[in-house]
Amino acid sequence: MATIESIQNAYIDYVLTEGAQPKSVYIFAKQNEMTEAEFYQFFGSFEAVEQNIWAEFARKTLTEIRGQEVWAGYSAREKALSFFYGFFELIKGSRSFAIYTINKQPKGFTTPRVFEQLKDIYENFADEILKEGLESSELSDRKFFSKRYKDALWVQFVFVLNFWVNDNSAGFEKTDEAIEKGVNVTFDLFQRSPIDNLLEYGKFLVKNGGIKDKMGF
Amino acid sequence: MTEDKKVSPPATDGDLTGDDSTSQQNSMPTTKVQRSARFVSTGIKIGGNYIKHYSKKLFNPDLDKSELNEDNATDIYKSLSELKGSALKVAQMLSMDKNLLPQAYVDKFTQSQYNAPPLSGPLIVQTFRKYFGKNPDQIFDKFNIRSTNAASIGQVHEAELNGKKLAVKIQYPGVGEAISSDLKLVKPFAFRMLGMSERELDVYMREVEERLLEETDYELEVRRSIEFSTACANLDNVVFPKYYPELSSKRIITMDWLEGKHLREFLAINPSQELRNQVGQALWDFYNFQQHELRAVHADPHPGNFLITPEGKLGVIDFGCIKEMPEDFYYPFFSLTSTNLLDNKTETIKAFRQLDMIHKGDTPAQIEFFYTQFCEMIELFAMPYIHDHFDFSQTTFFDQLYRFRERLSKLPEFKQARGVKHFIYVNRTNFGLYNILHELKAEVKTDTFKPHVVLEY
Repeated sequence: MATIESIQNAYIDYVLTEGAQPKSVYIFAKQNEMTEAEFYQFFGSFEAVEQNIWAEFARKTLTEIRGQEVWAGYSAREKALSFFYGFFELIKGSRSFAIYTINKQPKGFTTPRVFEQLKDIYENFADEILKEGLESSELSDRKFFSKRYKDALWVQFVFVLNFWVNDNSAGFEKTDEAIEKGVNVTFDLFQRSPIDNLLEYGKFLVKNGGIKDKMGF
Repeated sequence: MTEDKKVSPPATDGDLTGDDSTSQQNSMPTTKVQRSARFVSTGIKIGGNYIKHYSKKLFNPDLDKSELNEDNATDIYKSLSELKGSALKVAQMLSMDKNLLPQAYVDKFTQSQYNAPPLSGPLIVQTFRKYFGKNPDQIFDKFNIRSTNAASIGQVHEAELNGKKLAVKIQYPGVGEAISSDLKLVKPFAFRMLGMSERELDVYMREVEERLLEETDYELEVRRSIEFSTACANLDNVVFPKYYPELSSKRIITMDWLEGKHLREFLAINPSQELRNQVGQALWDFYNFQQHELRAVHADPHPGNFLITPEGKLGVIDFGCIKEMPEDFYYPFFSLTSTNLLDNKTETIKAFRQLDMIHKGDTPAQIEFFYTQFCEMIELFAMPYIHDHFDFSQTTFFDQLYRFRERLSKLPEFKQARGVKHFIYVNRTNFGLYNILHELKAEVKTDTFKPHVVLEY
C-alpha cells in the first residue's frame, strides 16, 4: 500500500536517477507497483509531491527545534536562528534533490510554485515569533513596517537557500556564518535603532516647525 | 592599571547575554574586502594622527610623542577589536610584549584580551548537531547555553555530566580560514610599528601564522593538552583539568571545570606573600620543566590562560599554543644564558652566528657592535638564573629591561630583523612569564629545572 512517504521517496529516487520528472503519473505508478488512483489519492500532480517534500522539511524542522529543551528560553531572534540552522542541517541529507528542484525554478521575483506550501508554514512561524518579539518589546513596533517584517525574513530565507546551493565549504560552514550574520543583521533592523530616533527627531522638528523662523533661516 | 580592572573577565554569565553583544558582532566586517577597507581606514587615520602631531609640534617643539601614540593605539585598537579572530590574537600577542611597544599601545591592547562577542545559542546547538548528531542537552545532563567566558577564537560554556562540572569550549565558525588573510592585513602595521622590512618580517609572520593555525585545531589541542598534563603531572602545585576526547571535536573541547580566580581577581584579594610565592613557583616550575625537559612549551603565558584555585594551586587551562624548540636553537641559546660561555668571545660569536643574530655579511665593526648589544641583552635575560632564587617584585630589573628594549628600538641598526624565528615565541614565553611573576611580586627558586647546556661551539 502506498503512503505519502513511500511516494515521496520513490519520486525523489526517480528524479535523481533519471534527472527529470517521470513522463506520466501512469508510468511512475506502474514502476512503483501501485495504481494511478492510489497516487491521486495523495497528490494531484508531481508538482504537488515536490511542494509537499519542501513543506515536510519545514514541518520536521519545527517539530525538531520546538522539542529542544532550550526552545522555551529563546528570544525571537534565537528562534529564527534555530529554524535556519535546523532547516539547513535537515536538507543537507537531501541536497541533491533540493538543488534539482531549485535549479528547475524559473528565475524571477515571484515565489517559485514549489515553495508555496513551505512559504505558508514559514510565514506562520515567522508571524508567531515576531508577535512574541513585539509583545516582549524585543522588537520595535513601527507603523506600516512591522507588518512587513515577515517579508524581510522570507527574503532572508531565500537568500540563505541560494547561498547554500552555491556553498562549497566543508560541512557548509560558510552557510552557518551566513545565517549567524544575516539573521542577526535582520533582527538588529527590527530592533529599536538610531533610525527610530532619527524619525522621531524628524517628527519633532515638523511639529515644532516654528523653530525654523525663529532661527532666522 | 585601574583601566585593566574594569575589563577583567566576567565571572558570572550575566554579563555576556545575547542582545547587546550580538549587535556588536554584526558590526564585524565579514568579507576580505571589508576587512581590508577597515585596515585601510585605520591607516588613513594614523596618517592623520601623524599630521596632527607634527602640526602641533610646529607650535610647541617640546611636545612628546605620547599623545600621538595614544591616538594611534586607540585607532588601531578600534580597528582590531572589530576584526575578531586572528587579528585579535595578534593584538594579544603584541600586548604581551610590553617592551616592544610604547606604553600607550600596550594599555589599549590589553583591553582586547577579554573582549570578544559571543555565538548565538542556536549556533551552539547547531555545532553540536554537526559533530555529534545530538543537541547539547542530549549529551550533557545540564548545559548552559549562555557562555560564561569568551576566548579570542571561541567561548566557554558550563555543563554537567554525571555530577561533574565541565567546561565546554566552542570555536567560532570560519576562524581558520580568516587567519591567513587577516595576517596579510596586519603585516603592514606590524611592519610599521616594529620598523622592520617586509621581506624580513615574512619569516616571522609565517611562524606566527603556523602557531595560530595550530590553535584553531581543537583536536590537536586536546591531544596536546593530555600529553602535557600527563608529562607535567608531578609538578608541585600545578593542576590541569581532565580532558574528554570523546566529547571533543574539531570545534569543541570538553574538559573538567576548574574553580579558581584569574590573576587579577586573585591579586585583588591581597594574597599573602607566601601564597604569591607558591603560585609564582608553580608558574616558574611549569615553564622551566617544559622548556628544559620537554623542549616544547605552552607559549601563551597571558593571564587569561591561568586560574588560581582556592587551594592556591596554579590551574592551566589552555594548550592551544605550543612552541617546540629544535636542538639547533635550544643548545646555543640556553648555553649562552646559563653558562660562562659569554666570557669566551669567540665561542659566543659562534653561537650568535648560529642563532642568526650576527649575519654572514656583517663587517667587523658591526660584529663588534652586535656582540656588545646582544651580550647585554642575554645578561639581562639570564639574571633570574644567576643565583638559586630571584625576587621578581624588584622593579630595577624590569626598569633595566624596559630601558634596554627602548634603547634598542631607537638604534638604527635594529631596524633590521635579527635572530632566528624561534625567538618570537621563546621570548614571548619567557618575558611573559617574567611579567606575570612581576605582577605577582613573587620570589621564586630558579634552580628547580636547569637548562641542559653544551660548552663549546
